[in-house]
Amino acid sequence: MLIVDLVQSIVDGLLFGATYALIGIGFTLVFGVMHKINMAYAAASVGAAYAALRLIALIGGPAWASLLIAAAAGGVFGLIIYWLCFRFIPLSNPLATLMSTVGMFLLAEEIIVHTTDGMPQNYPVVVRGILDMGEFMIRGDLVFVFVCALLAMVVLLYLLYRTKLGIATRAVSQQPVAAQLVGIRLNHINALTFIVTGMLGGFAGALIGSAVGLLSPLLVIPLTIKGLIVTVIGGLGSIPGAIIAGLLVGMAENVFQYFRGVTERDIYVMLLLFVFLVFRPGGIFSNTVKRD
Amino acid sequence: MLDVQDIVTAYGKIEALKGVSLAAAEGRITCLLGPNGAGKTTLMYSIAGVLKPRRGAIRLGGVDITGQSPSAIVARGLALVPENRLVFPQMTVAENLEAGAYQRRDAAEVAVDIERMYARFPRLKERRTQLAGTLSGGEQQMLAVARALMSRPRILLMDEPSLGLAPLIVEEIFRIVGELNKDGVTIFLVEQNVHMALKVAHHFYLMEQGRVTFSGEPGKLAEDEVIQRAYLGTSRQASSHKTG
Repeated sequence: MLIVDLVQSIVDGLLFGATYALIGIGFTLVFGVMHKINMAYAAASVGAAYAALRLIALIGGPAWASLLIAAAAGGVFGLIIYWLCFRFIPLSNPLATLMSTVGMFLLAEEIIVHTTDGMPQNYPVVVRGILDMGEFMIRGDLVFVFVCALLAMVVLLYLLYRTKLGIATRAVSQQPVAAQLVGIRLNHINALTFIVTGMLGGFAGALIGSAVGLLSPLLVIPLTIKGLIVTVIGGLGSIPGAIIAGLLVGMAENVFQYFRGVTERDIYVMLLLFVFLVFRPGGIFSNTVKRD
Repeated sequence: MLDVQDIVTAYGKIEALKGVSLAAAEGRITCLLGPNGAGKTTLMYSIAGVLKPRRGAIRLGGVDITGQSPSAIVARGLALVPENRLVFPQMTVAENLEAGAYQRRDAAEVAVDIERMYARFPRLKERRTQLAGTLSGGEQQMLAVARALMSRPRILLMDEPSLGLAPLIVEEIFRIVGELNKDGVTIFLVEQNVHMALKVAHHFYLMEQGRVTFSGEPGKLAEDEVIQRAYLGTSRQASSHKTG
């Protein structure tokens, strides 16, 4: 049944797309606050998931704990990236931080390859089981991934819109000079943004590992590209945009895979990006957070 | 209260301030007049710590604040209402005010102060849940002033608060400046609107091409003479009258 399989693909894609949304939010939040792209973001996120996997293997513990450890490791990596790639690099030069983060991307990937001999590592099962809904089957692990990602988004939005630090973060992204004039330290908010997005990325990396069933250095480049596509489609700096775009990209990917197979699907995702760049360069909502 | 000594601030090799000295006395309204490009905004940003002066000293209440970070200077009781208001456009009026109180830890008192701002600026109360970017120019100016006041400054710096506003709104802004001053806030004001500035100022300075060229009290000089000296380039001769 074509229609049943198609709906199945769409649902699976939407559920998994929540992880793309998290990665997209990470790119977009750093862009919103610093007007810079952190190219090392997805690499650090996968790295954080690896770190969690290692730690669990070393000291034991339930599989779900790897999600929290990955988030913590992601926060630490985020801070390290901020210090090495942004803090002392001239921000007025748009290429400087791009190159420093590309360098960090390559370094993170190298570290992953060298510590694992380039072999994929199995990720422990966090949730098993399948929800049987008549003609459809919904994978329990994907539902779990989706719910976790949603929870992470809710926490993030709470931080941004209901706390003083959130007000400060938005103030810096909207009007950095005025933010300084009310006594907000830009360096603190920048560092904080890297920690929070790093945690989000680590969490997303672990969720992806748990849904795919393994971690591989080969995840890094596709995840970076998907994250950037989500950021562009969602509109640079827009969090709601990144959420919608993440789900959209996850869904489109699965639909393309259903029709054209796994080897061709990314071509069509790229084509989707192309369509957006030509017809809607500002993203879905076309009102990115502006600096004037 | 505020004492600026021989400040030099440069953008690359171009010196926008070439040794500026002036003072704003406690409890008074001091006004800085001058044409576009004189360096008035550069001076304001240098005092507030956003720009770092290359030379000279800035003292606030006797304490040297030269080269300190903007956040340290806010903590010392100085707030700047920047040129073009620079409200946070995608935040509500209420959030803008909360941002103004960023350094304060007394949440209950902050809430009281927000109500005080609403009492002083009723338009802001009406628009408290509206995004600041959707306000009119005059409302944004009120918001920028209220936001600056939320840090409870001892001295308030205002950079061209009348810029681009209708005459009635300008009157309103200057009425508020007078009120704030009566409440004990020291005011240092940059203006192009000579008429309004001289009406409220206790003391004024003229600035031209990065230098202070004249200083005096409003009553002692006719308004058109001030305008001539400030904007028509006769201040070179006038600098021999310099009093401060």
